[in-house]
Amino acid sequence: MGFGTDLIIGVAVLLVVLILGGWIAGIYNSLVRLRNDIKKSWANIDVLLKQRSDELPKLIASVKGYMKHEEGVLTKLTNARTAFLNAKTTGQIADADNMITGALKSLFAVAENYPNLKANENFIQLQNRISGLENELADRREFYNDTVNTFNIKIQSFPDMFVANFMALKQEEMFKVTEAERADVKVEF
Amino acid sequence: MLYLPLLTLFKANSILLTVFKAGSSDLPIYALVGFVIGIFLFYQGFKWMRQKQLIESTPTSKIRSLAMGLVEIFGNVIPSEGKILKSPFSNSDCVYYRYTVEEYKNHGKRSQWDTIMTGDGRELFFLKDDTGMVLVDSNGAEIDIPQDNQYQTGGLFGKPVPKTIESFLKTKNASATGFLGIGRQLRFTEWFIAPKDKLYILGTAADNPFVKTSSRNEENIIIKKGSNESTYFISDKSEAQVLSGFKWKVWGGLLGGSALILICLLALLWFFKVL
Repeated sequence: MGFGTDLIIGVAVLLVVLILGGWIAGIYNSLVRLRNDIKKSWANIDVLLKQRSDELPKLIASVKGYMKHEEGVLTKLTNARTAFLNAKTTGQIADADNMITGALKSLFAVAENYPNLKANENFIQLQNRISGLENELADRREFYNDTVNTFNIKIQSFPDMFVANFMALKQEEMFKVTEAERADVKVEF
Repeated sequence: MLYLPLLTLFKANSILLTVFKAGSSDLPIYALVGFVIGIFLFYQGFKWMRQKQLIESTPTSKIRSLAMGLVEIFGNVIPSEGKILKSPFSNSDCVYYRYTVEEYKNHGKRSQWDTIMTGDGRELFFLKDDTGMVLVDSNGAEIDIPQDNQYQTGGLFGKPVPKTIESFLKTKNASATGFLGIGRQLRFTEWFIAPKDKLYILGTAADNPFVKTSSRNEENIIIKKGSNESTYFISDKSEAQVLSGFKWKVWGGLLGGSALILICLLALLWFFKVL
């Protein structure tokens, strides 16, 4: 074989190596990006959780005067907020979030029994603000779960699983909604 | 989607074949040009691969809860108040348009359509899904939409020039008639994004400079080309169709580019009798 043939074979091999290398690098980069996206989407949930937590004392203060006989509901909300403020791990934060969501549901349901409270401008504003945050939180939880799902599928799929094994990647946990949160709130009249 | 890499490959290969057949001394130049195109295609293949992976790994966001950074959204186009454009040839309402004017010209033995004018126009618009709407600045986006209208004047298949095209030509100090009043063979093509069009957008959510602070999250955001993330893609196709298009582009770029590099290298070696 002459120089020309060697050159052609060399370039062909180089191109194949580049395609394979680029492909593997692409898988690696996309796994790194997904792992960071999971962290980012969790942080985006956390921002909203903090915003909602900041609104809770105002909400409790605005309803306290009206709901003197609903100590249980208010205590549940205060405890849930304390649990959130003390939460350190992702699991603890998720649990506290579920507690707050459940307590808020109960509070807004019970508020239906107090027409004066329902007509209070301050309460209406807080309720709207918190409901808005709840909706955004629901979307972001869904987004977080989508990202985790994409990541989990990817690290188990061929050929990405080889790169994922090399990177020692493990499946991430989804944001779970508790049975209590899924259930309808019972309002006692 | 596959159009660009295939066309480039086809053009370069047809030139090479012509040169091979003719035994032209221009072969090294053509081969060198083909080689550079091959490298460009190969590089583009990797770029498209990255874009494809980004689309695959970015979940769709609801507009109401958009977070800053790279986002993928779906929705319908709503024009910003009073900011509506007219497409240049059909005078349709739109928020973005692009056009080309081509003329059929003879180049020795060959005749082809040469582009003599191109242009575009855009306005800010909103994208609305079932949770809210967000402002979009399409500047710098790669916009993948099908051709909306095409008109041809002069020649055998030419129709009379529509009034909108006449007035367009007037604004550009051009005319559809050439020497001795004979109609020039012109082709006018336009693409546009109209109100209510359904769009897929992969872009960067950033602070909206037109709003100080709003209680609604999405009002504080504008979708635009990111300063750190260069990917900004707008299409009227579904995500699955966009991905399928990218799949073909990736393989077209990588394999087509590789083939072109090898063929041109082979031609060069053959010409210089190194083989």
